[in-house]
Amino acid sequence: MTEPQTNTLRGEGISLSFGGIKVLKDLDVEFRAGEITGLIGPNGAGKTSLFNCLTGAYTPQKGNIGYAGNSLNGLPPSMRAAKGIVRSFQHVALCPDLTVRENVMIGVARNHHSGWLNAFLPLPRGQREWAAMAQDANRALADLGLAEMGDLMPDALPPGMQRLVEIARAIVGNPSVLLLDEPAAGLNNSETSDLMAVLRELASNDLVLVVVEHDMDLVMSICDRIYVLNFGELVADGTPKEVRENPNVVRIYLGSDDD
Amino acid sequence: MSDTFGQRPANASETSMLKQLTSGSLPTLALIIALAFLPAMLGGSWTFTMGLCFANSIGVLAVSLLVRYGGEVSIGHTFFTALGAYSVGVLDAKYGLSLFASLPLALLLGVAFGVIFAWPSRNLSGIYLAVTTLALALAVPEIINNLGGITGGYEGLYVSTPIVSFLEMSMQRYYFALLMLVVATYLVARLRKSRQGMLLLLAKTHSAAADAFGTRRVWARISIMGISGGIGALCGATLAFSGSTVSPGGFTFSQAIFLLVGSVVGFYGLSLPRVLLGGAFVTLVPHLLSASGAWIPVFYGIALLSMILIGHHLPRIRKAMKLRKEAG
Repeated sequence: MTEPQTNTLRGEGISLSFGGIKVLKDLDVEFRAGEITGLIGPNGAGKTSLFNCLTGAYTPQKGNIGYAGNSLNGLPPSMRAAKGIVRSFQHVALCPDLTVRENVMIGVARNHHSGWLNAFLPLPRGQREWAAMAQDANRALADLGLAEMGDLMPDALPPGMQRLVEIARAIVGNPSVLLLDEPAAGLNNSETSDLMAVLRELASNDLVLVVVEHDMDLVMSICDRIYVLNFGELVADGTPKEVRENPNVVRIYLGSDDD
Repeated sequence: MSDTFGQRPANASETSMLKQLTSGSLPTLALIIALAFLPAMLGGSWTFTMGLCFANSIGVLAVSLLVRYGGEVSIGHTFFTALGAYSVGVLDAKYGLSLFASLPLALLLGVAFGVIFAWPSRNLSGIYLAVTTLALALAVPEIINNLGGITGGYEGLYVSTPIVSFLEMSMQRYYFALLMLVVATYLVARLRKSRQGMLLLLAKTHSAAADAFGTRRVWARISIMGISGGIGALCGATLAFSGSTVSPGGFTFSQAIFLLVGSVVGFYGLSLPRVLLGGAFVTLVPHLLSASGAWIPVFYGIALLSMILIGHHLPRIRKAMKLRKEAG
């Protein structure tokens, strides 16, 4: 790895393949704290696969992944989560057996450590823990305009709101790295605007925020830097203006004259 | 950010939880009170049978818990019930120790063997795990018979040491089983409102999401098998005390299947009424059919099918009745 920047999530030379299919090809990426980084590309470009490598769900055949100067290679997803690296999913992954509030409480559970006795008996520590998690969840839900939805079950919400609940679950635990996979999918214009406001506020100095998104208006308006992938390769990177004017990107999204 | 940031009452979830508990617990409380007075209305043999029914309900709870929190089916829980039962039987018959000593041992062994079983089978699921538990069930009677010096072999052991001196033994057998059932369902209800319970449920439905939020699937599997094994052992300990005898015939493969049947009849419910329904089906239906001779399996099958069909169609029937009432 080259000289690390503080609180930067880096991937160097990441290659991933399934059987003979190369999903990611020697990718170098750097996601900085305090910035919103967009990850765009057509379907099958490898965006979610890159997320899976960063969070430890997939183990790349080649390359290094590090955060804040420390290697993450070989760490399972649960240990990366313990370091504050969290994500949302392309397909909403809420638990149907839990209420909306409880689903969000999951996001902060890793910060609590009461033992099994507290799970079975009404002991003060367990009750304090539950109340604190509920309070944090309520705050995150309120941030996303879902304050009144806490007692509902997830399947009572439309898909767009379910996605917001998932984002609330991701942000509630004050993550150091937040990877959002298509956070605006299924949201209406108003919900998307609220989401953009929340993301802008989240992009504090301490947070590495990466967004995979097909909504180009959202990406171009909130991202400080954008990576463009196509067939597992890095096609372009830079500011939204640079990316928008990049001929390779234009070709990928609009097609060339030869196509 | 929303203007409502932080304005929601901190204890909102506690209030809603209280509501949920209150709404669900009043009928349950009435049921417990009714069961507490039941011996005054029943004869001796029915009091004895109800004690066994409560014990089997705990076994149904153990199996249902594994389904609801682990997403897995066990057809070998008699392994854990045997552990609990023989903990009580051996300490009672060989050393004259009461449940005060044997019950903690039973729980400890149930949890420990649940964990020991879960570790090598941690990557198995569905039918593969079910078949693995089948191996446990098939092994149990043979293990018991081969350890005849300790377990009493085919003849089994007689459990006779009372817990308290002021209550008739038959009443102790009944009320101990009722108490254990109430305690077990209460503890499981508490689990639902705990951090660990939430994480187990997420790991069951979305293991990748659980992983991404710091919960390892292996931890979830081992934890739920340990808890379920412990409750299974509690079932066995209760069966031993309330049934007064412990013998290999009580821990056959058929018994393991009956526990699963009870769990299905209770629709994998974890509340006292639901597990009691399952336990009653396992215990009382064969008792009621005992005069039917060779037709017992046929009638039992019909009863089982009827219960499942009623349970399956009940929501639709209720909905239709509600609509008819509104239209009328």
